[in-house]
Amino acid sequence: MIRTLTGLAVILLLGAVTAAIVPYMGLSQELTGAGREYADQGMTATGSSNLVTAVIVAYRGLDTLGEVVVLFCASTAVVLILTLFPLGSRPSEPSIIVAHTSSALPAPIMLLAVYFIAHSHLSPGGGFPGGTVMASVFLLVMLGSSSVPGRSGALPAVEALAGISFGLLGFWGVMTLGQFLNNTVLGRGIPGELLSAGIIPLISLAIGAKVASEFSGVFAAFRKSGGVE
Amino acid sequence: MSPALMAAMAMAMGGMMLIAAVVVLFIRELLSAIIITGFVSLSASALFLMMDATDVAITEASIGAVLATLIFLWGRGKMGGDE
Repeated sequence: MIRTLTGLAVILLLGAVTAAIVPYMGLSQELTGAGREYADQGMTATGSSNLVTAVIVAYRGLDTLGEVVVLFCASTAVVLILTLFPLGSRPSEPSIIVAHTSSALPAPIMLLAVYFIAHSHLSPGGGFPGGTVMASVFLLVMLGSSSVPGRSGALPAVEALAGISFGLLGFWGVMTLGQFLNNTVLGRGIPGELLSAGIIPLISLAIGAKVASEFSGVFAAFRKSGGVE
Repeated sequence: MSPALMAAMAMAMGGMMLIAAVVVLFIRELLSAIIITGFVSLSASALFLMMDATDVAITEASIGAVLATLIFLWGRGKMGGDE
């Protein structure tokens, strides 16, 4: 009862705060401070037409590297716990709806994921959402069969390779221009073209591969420990 | 779309989200609660889309509405029953 009331109070408080903020969000068109700087300089400085990706990967690339490390630690811990304490039940036969869906949908969803990652510097998307969408393909295929994924070195190999290449792309900047994760080591290109925006597409690719393999590894661990039915 | 209409739509969406969040607290059935939690995430994603934060909307839809809901569903399956 107390828990319900506390939850209610928190929800109402958050709702009131949001209702107070929302009217000002859409209406304030003037950018100030760093936002103004990004909007004015972002495209010419990074060559990326998607400013959100430019901020995430180029301006705040170090934060993203930290985020990737945090995600790595979290997924490692989940896999470790699931391996040490199996939940102990066998996956059951998928229903006919799931079985048919999982044979039809993976290809289009995979295409969407690849598009998110490859066009991260051109249109909304990026390595992180693309990676999660790709992992959901893995999940769908897994739910569509009653088998347990075997022991495979491919997922950890992709994960390690992606993490290392993110770091190496950062050090490329140190070697050539004396700045970690400098985006211009590859040149900026023409904004709006597929091959532009320096190392942003490469880093997006690394993030996408890392996130996809990490989430897939977590799902596989769930299945092996008997968590997915 | 005019800013006033936009703000009104955002308010309506936020109101629905708020109601759904309160309903989750009082509902007794775990499966319904999980689905409504997913709806809260989905309306948050729609709200982000209305504010032109497309990147955030995509991430919220894929993680909040799909992956988190699925993990809750697995947890429910493990608990073996409702409540």
